[in-house]
Amino acid sequence: MLRRLLARWAFPALPIGFAVVFVVLPLALTIAVSFWTRVGLVVRPAFTFTSYEAFFAGARLLVFERSFLASIEATVLGLLLAYPIAYFLAFKVSPRAARTVLLLFTVPFLVNYIIRAFAWTWLLGRTGLINTLLMASGLTNEPLDWLLYSDVAVLIGLVTSYMPFMIFPLWLSLSGIDRRLIQASWMLGAPPARTFLRVTLPLSLPGVFAASIFAFVGCFGESAIPVIMGGVGYQMMGNSIASAMDVLNYPLAAAISTVVLAAMMSLLLVWYLAFDARAFLGMILRPGK
Amino acid sequence: MNSLSIWTRRDFVRIGLASAGAASAWAAIPGTARAAGGTVNFADIGVGDPGGDWSLFTKAANGWNVNLVAIGNAPSAILNVLVAGGGTASYDVINIVGGMQKPLVDNDLIEPLDTTRLPAWSRDRNIAEFLGKGTPGFNFIGYQDKLYGVPTVLQGDSFAFLPEKTGPLDSYAALFDPKFKGYVALEDNYTTAGQKTALYLKHANLAKIENPADMTPEELKTVVDFLVEQKRKGQFRVIWSSFQQAVDLIVNKEVYVIDCWEPMVFVAKSKGVNAVYADPKEGYLLWAMAAYLTKNPKRSAEATQAAYALLDFMLGGWYGAKITLLRGYMTNTDAPDYAKAHPDQFPAEGAEKVAAITANVHRKFAQGGTWQNRWPKHVDVYETEWARFKAA
Repeated sequence: MLRRLLARWAFPALPIGFAVVFVVLPLALTIAVSFWTRVGLVVRPAFTFTSYEAFFAGARLLVFERSFLASIEATVLGLLLAYPIAYFLAFKVSPRAARTVLLLFTVPFLVNYIIRAFAWTWLLGRTGLINTLLMASGLTNEPLDWLLYSDVAVLIGLVTSYMPFMIFPLWLSLSGIDRRLIQASWMLGAPPARTFLRVTLPLSLPGVFAASIFAFVGCFGESAIPVIMGGVGYQMMGNSIASAMDVLNYPLAAAISTVVLAAMMSLLLVWYLAFDARAFLGMILRPGK
Repeated sequence: MNSLSIWTRRDFVRIGLASAGAASAWAAIPGTARAAGGTVNFADIGVGDPGGDWSLFTKAANGWNVNLVAIGNAPSAILNVLVAGGGTASYDVINIVGGMQKPLVDNDLIEPLDTTRLPAWSRDRNIAEFLGKGTPGFNFIGYQDKLYGVPTVLQGDSFAFLPEKTGPLDSYAALFDPKFKGYVALEDNYTTAGQKTALYLKHANLAKIENPADMTPEELKTVVDFLVEQKRKGQFRVIWSSFQQAVDLIVNKEVYVIDCWEPMVFVAKSKGVNAVYADPKEGYLLWAMAAYLTKNPKRSAEATQAAYALLDFMLGGWYGAKITLLRGYMTNTDAPDYAKAHPDQFPAEGAEKVAAITANVHRKFAQGGTWQNRWPKHVDVYETEWARFKAA
């Protein structure tokens, strides 16, 4: 009996133990510290909302709102770009070609993300390649300032950084759709657009949501792109947390992190309630496989 | 019969006297490491590395080596390394921008220095001239009347400009001049950009600021309100936060006036850009790097002696000249003479460069300005106000 019980729990105990030690405990500690108090440079256990008050009353709330909006914009734009690519790879090319293209989408990640952001500044700057070409072609008389150190620049940086991450779950989800369902729609007389809207898109929604979560979470915590490509003092939540830590205000940094965590967990909860995770892998759609 | 039996009593006396003499001589050479083959662990922010060449130290310190580890310069990064990362056990010496004594001493992370163990200390005239007790510069190496840091680098910061775009400039007012609207960059740092702005506002009688180096919350609010107003008018193109970013801004002519460090101008010039580092009438933002001995009760006497030997080496001519050449900062008063006297190690052109940089920075210190304050009394207010400026 005991042996059977051990055999049953020994295997899952390893990942569960790992998650508890390396994920749950640090997060719990972060939440606890957010209520602690700071005396001089020392942090002492307490239960106070001082750090939350500082967050919600100060400029950091604006940063939170900006991060939220910028992340939504980048996620929506990323989806609009990634979905057609994933669709094309899943339905229009051979599996071998799809694998090759997917591999190519991983190439940018071989370059350090800070170098990638700097590369954008060289392209988008007043004397950069794009402005030079625009002026040389006569399309503009002077450089477009808003191409760099602006909200647009941050959006470009975020979309190009996180869009490739979105292609993979979308492709996975689209590839898992049973083709017979699409064929049945055609045979019943639905035009391609209607088949897409009524069959393909709904069945790929788990992938859409997974891709959105990947992109949104990444964008929300991004710290390098806003600093390198953003306008005067453009910050996102990662920068705000780092700034609080610079003066050793750990309770405030923990409070900001907790607010971010709560926002992310809410999104994950929506995903959990709205979709069965197995649908993401096509297991429900293709029973028996 | 063992081998000792062949020794006579006279041999023992002779060897004994010789050993005692050697020990006395050894003790009389302060700063010399007395045990061979160890390693001094040296944490540095990227300025104190003499190109990886520690051979002269090893030779002078009886075989001790240096293990250099790069760390960040932000106060939190340093304190995290020393507190959370167990850095006092991992590192013997940390070389960072000074003025951090309060948090370092209050957290029991560094030791007061015994300058009698540093023969080069009394030779470095910069210490007496700019960093002595009772002067604002003392805050970069001392705290509450005790000495904690060996000054390794000194510099005075202002701003850079492109003269073909702006003409000659000699005031921080250029950073806020509407003529350069959209072509100005500031550093993302309240102890540099914030303090320079305060210096300008004070000198231009635009705000009542007692001490730009340690402002009250009200004074700081005035400064940040001014910066927010400038930001909303579109005065600034960007706030930079890394060396490469600032260099790119100058080299690509993205901005014409930039609050920055002088070595960035050296790099821009090396790339063919005619950038000038300003000589502002309001004075400079003065600062110094300091090397601290970490507090580690378990460190052996030999390792402590070797750490002192390293601190003394860093006050020496070879190290100073090397760092001046590599980084463009003034180091110690031995550096120019050493470089000139050792053409085998420093070719004439290099020696001239060391002398020129040293003379230039010395002139800045003589002119004065405001000393950067890395840990102002109201540091939390500084951080919060700076966040307000950035979010505005």
